[in-house]
Amino acid sequence: METFAALGHGVVVALQPMNLLFAFAGVMLGTAVGVLPGIGPALTVALLLPITFKLDPAGSLIMFAGIYYGGMYGGSTASILLNTPGESASIVTALEGNKMARAGRGGPALATSAIGSFVAGTIATIGLALVAPTVVDVAISFGPEDYFALMILAFTTVSAAFGSSVTRGLTSLFIGLALGLVGIDLQSGQARLSFGIPDLLDGVEVTTLAVALFAIGETLSVAAAGLRAEEVIEPVKGSVFMNREDWRRSWWPWLRGTALGFPIGAMPAGGAEIPTFLSYALEKRLCRKPDEFGNGAIEGVAGPEAANNAAAAGVLVPLLTLGLPTSATAAIMLAGFQQYGLNPGPLLFTSNPDLVWGLIASLFIANGMLLVLNLPLVGLWVRLLAIPRPWLYGGILVFATLGTLGANPSLVELGMLLIFGLLGYVLRRYDYPIAPVVVGLILGPLSEQQLRRALAISVGDPIVLFQSPIALTLYALSALALFGPLIFYLITGHRAPVGADED
Amino acid sequence: MKHIVRGALLAAALALPFGAASAQVDELKIMAPAAPGGGWDQTARAMQQVLQGEKIVSNVQVMNVPGAGGTIGLAQFVNADKGDPSALIVGGYVMVGAIITNKSPVTLDQVTPIARLTGEYEAIAVPADSPLKSMEDLVAALKANPQKVSWAGGSAGGTDHITAGLIAKAIGVDPTKVNYIAFSGGGESLASILGGKVTVGISSLSEFDAQAKAGKLRLLGVSSAERLPEAKDVPTFKESGVDVEIQNWRMVAAAPGISPEQKKALNDTIAKMVNSQGWKDMLAQKGWANTYLAGADFEEQLAKDITATKAILKDIGLAQ
Amino acid sequence: MSDPNTPSPDRSARRGADKAGFAIAFGLALLSLVVGWDAWRLSQINVYSAIGPAAFPTIIAGGLALLAVATAVEAIREGALERPRDEPVPMAWVLGGLIGQIILLPFLGFSIATGWLFAATAKGFGRGPVWAHFLAGTAMCLVIYLIFAKGLQLSLPAGPIERLF
Repeated sequence: METFAALGHGVVVALQPMNLLFAFAGVMLGTAVGVLPGIGPALTVALLLPITFKLDPAGSLIMFAGIYYGGMYGGSTASILLNTPGESASIVTALEGNKMARAGRGGPALATSAIGSFVAGTIATIGLALVAPTVVDVAISFGPEDYFALMILAFTTVSAAFGSSVTRGLTSLFIGLALGLVGIDLQSGQARLSFGIPDLLDGVEVTTLAVALFAIGETLSVAAAGLRAEEVIEPVKGSVFMNREDWRRSWWPWLRGTALGFPIGAMPAGGAEIPTFLSYALEKRLCRKPDEFGNGAIEGVAGPEAANNAAAAGVLVPLLTLGLPTSATAAIMLAGFQQYGLNPGPLLFTSNPDLVWGLIASLFIANGMLLVLNLPLVGLWVRLLAIPRPWLYGGILVFATLGTLGANPSLVELGMLLIFGLLGYVLRRYDYPIAPVVVGLILGPLSEQQLRRALAISVGDPIVLFQSPIALTLYALSALALFGPLIFYLITGHRAPVGADED
Repeated sequence: MKHIVRGALLAAALALPFGAASAQVDELKIMAPAAPGGGWDQTARAMQQVLQGEKIVSNVQVMNVPGAGGTIGLAQFVNADKGDPSALIVGGYVMVGAIITNKSPVTLDQVTPIARLTGEYEAIAVPADSPLKSMEDLVAALKANPQKVSWAGGSAGGTDHITAGLIAKAIGVDPTKVNYIAFSGGGESLASILGGKVTVGISSLSEFDAQAKAGKLRLLGVSSAERLPEAKDVPTFKESGVDVEIQNWRMVAAAPGISPEQKKALNDTIAKMVNSQGWKDMLAQKGWANTYLAGADFEEQLAKDITATKAILKDIGLAQ
Repeated sequence: MSDPNTPSPDRSARRGADKAGFAIAFGLALLSLVVGWDAWRLSQINVYSAIGPAAFPTIIAGGLALLAVATAVEAIREGALERPRDEPVPMAWVLGGLIGQIILLPFLGFSIATGWLFAATAKGFGRGPVWAHFLAGTAMCLVIYLIFAKGLQLSLPAGPIERLF
C-alpha cells in the first residue's frame, strides 16, 4: 500500500492554500481559453504553459493540471451551449448536449458533463495508480493490424449518428472520408487533393471542419429560416440542476464511458475520439428511450464526456510508465515536465516518485476544483442562451473565427471555415446528418495509415490482418454491432430497440 | 492565380513599416513557422525569453505560422518581411527536405542565414530482445533483404526517412527498397519499436535515451561525427563502417534584402545571446546541444546539406 | 438529425422528381471524379510500398459514385419534396459578414474586420442599425484582441487600431 501513502502525501501537498489558489487560477484561465471554439486542451496548455514556469514545481504542476482540466471543460461547455465543439473529442457531446440546451436543459447537460468528468477522472486516476504497468503491457502489444480492427469497430458505430436514412448517412461519411484524403500522405510523402495550394498540404483540420459545420452551418440555416424560426430559446425549463431522473440515467453511462475511455486512451494510437464514438453508440443501443437520441438524451452527454476524460487520464499511462507522449496534450505535458528536469521514461516512477504522485494528486485536486467552481456557475453559463439571437449568433461567429485564427492565423483557414460552413448549411437544408462527416475525417486517415503500416510490415501479406487474437475479437464485436439487431429480430420476432428511430 | 491573390493579401497584412534602420537592434519579431508547442516554437520562445531576460533586445515578439513543414511560414516571411531588419525566422533541417518534397516556390536561398543554434543527432534503436546486436548486424540484414527490415520513424521525407535512405545508399542497397513505416508522433513509433512490431526504429537520440537507459531498447549507432557525451558507449555510424553523418539542426535567419550593416547587427545580437548565461541555462534546461555556427561557415554547411538532401530525396523517390 | 429550426421536409407532397436530390447527386458525382482523377494521378507515381497512396482514394471515389447513383434513384422514387422557402436576404448578410471579414482582416486588423462580422450577422438576424453594431462590435473585438493577443500571446492579425497598443 505504498502507492496510497505516496498518493496521500501528494494530496496533502496539493491541498496547501497557496496551491489551491494556483489550481483555482489554472481552472479559470483554462476554461476561459478552452471555451474558444477550435482551441482544445492541447493548445490551451501550450499557450498558458509559460505562465506556470514562474512557480515552484509543486505550484506549477497543480496550475498546469488546472489549466488542462479547465481547457477540457471549456470545450464541453462551448459544445453544449453554443454547438461549437472546441476539440475533436467533444464533437459527440455537441450532438445531444446542444439539443438539451435548446430544450432548456442546458443546466443538467453541463452538470452531467462536469460530474461525469469528475467521476471518470477519479476512477481513471485510481486506475493509473494501481494498474498502469499492467495496462501498458497490453497497450504496447497492439500492432497496426489490431488498431485497424479497432477502427473498423469505430466505423460500425458511426451508424448510430446516421439519423433516418442510410444513404444520407453514408453520403455524409464519404464526404468526410474524401476530405480526410487532403494533404500529404504520411506513408509516401505524396500530396493528395491539394491542387498545389500549400495551405492544404497539412490537410483539413478537424476542429476547423467541426466549427464550420456546426457553428457556421447552424448560423446560416437559422438566418435562412428567418421568421419561420422565431422561437426564443428558454435557457431554463424545470430545474437548472440534475433531477433524480437525470442522476439515474447518468450513472451507468459515466461508468461505461470510463471503462471505454481509460484503456483506449492508454493505447499509444488509441486517442480520445474513438472512445467517445463508441460510448455514444453503446448508450444509444442500451438506452430505454432510444427515440430521445437525436433530441437531447442525457446519456449521450454523460457517456462520451466520461469517456473523453477517462481517455485523457489513460494517455498518462504510457507517458508516465514509458515516457511515450501519445497525444498532442501529452507531448506538451512532456515539455512541461522537462522544465523541472524531469525526464519521463521507464524509470520515472522509481527516480522521481514525489513529482509523479504530486502530478497525479494535482490532477485529482484540479478535477475536484473544477467541479466545485463550475457547478455553481452552471446557472450563469446557461444564461448565455438568453442573449437575444442577433447578438448570440454574432458572438458565436466572432468566437468561431477567433478560435480558428488563434490556432492558425491564415486567411485560407478562414476561407475553409466559410466553405465548410456553406456545406454545413446545405447538409442541414437537405436533411443530411452532420456528425458522420467529422467522423469520416477523423477515422479515414487513421484507418488508412494503420492498414498500410500493417501491410508494409508484413511485406504485403494480408493474412497478417487476421492472425492476431485481439484483431479477431474486435472484428467479432464489429459484426455483433452491425448484425446484432438483425439476429435479435430473427430470434425473438421483435425489432431491436435501436430500430425505433428509423422511419 | 489563387497563389498570387493570397500572397498579395498576406504581403499587405504583414508589410509593416518598421522604420529604424540603425545598427542597434531594439525590436525583433521572430516567426516560428510551426504551431505552438513544437521544436521551432520552443526555440523561438526560448530566444524571446533570453533576449529579453538578458536585456539584449527590449521588445521581442513571437508569431506562429504553422503548416507544411514550415514552408508556409517561410513563404510568408520571404514575401512580406523583405528588407525588414527586425524580422527573424526560426527553421531547421526539416525545412530543407520540406522545401524539396513540397515543391515550395520559396527556398532557403531567399532568406539571409544568421546562425545555426542547436542540433540533435539521429540514432537507431532496436528492442532489447532483438537479434540485431550491432550496426554490422543491421547492415548484413539489409544487404540480405532490405524489405524484411522495417524502419519506424517520423513522416515520409523527414529527417528519419532521409537518414534511413542515406544508410541504405552508403552500404550499396537500393534506397527505394527501404521498408520505411511512417508514424505521426514520437510516442506512436516508440510504442511500435518497444512492442517489437518493427525491426528497427530511427529517430533523434533524445527520443530513445530514457528507454535505452532503462534497458528496454538497444542503441545500434548515432549519426554524429564523434561519440556523444550523453551516449558514450554507442558507436557512430562511421565507426561501424557506414559513412553517414547527419545533424537535425535548428537555425535562425533574417529577411531577404537587408543591408550588410543590418545583417552584422543581427549577427552580433544572436552572438551575444548565445554567449549569455541565460542561453546556457536554457539549453541545459531543455536538453538541447549547443551547435552554434555562424557566418560563412554556416552558409557553406547549409549549401552542402541542401545538395545532399536533394540527392537522397531523389534516390528515395520523393523528389524529381 | 432533425433540427428544430429547419423543419423536416414534408414527405406527403410528391410531384415529379426531386431537383435538389439531382443536384446533390451531381455534386457527389463531381466529387467522385475529382477524387478518382487524383487517385489516377497518384497511381502514376512509383513509390515503393505494399499499398500505395492511390488505393484509398480509389475506394472512396467508387463509394461516392455509388452514392451519387443511389441519391439520383431516391430523388426519382421519392418525388419532389416540399421544402420551406429559405430567406436569401438574412443569409446574404451573414455570408457578407464572413466574406467581408476575410477581405478586411489583412488591411484593417482583427477588431475592425471582426466588428463588421458581428454587425452584419446581427443585421442578418434583424437587429440594426449596422453602424452602431459595427462600433460596438469593434470595441468588443478590441478588448478580445488585447486579452488574447497581448495577454496570451495568440498571434492575431493587427491593423491600425491594434498598433496603437
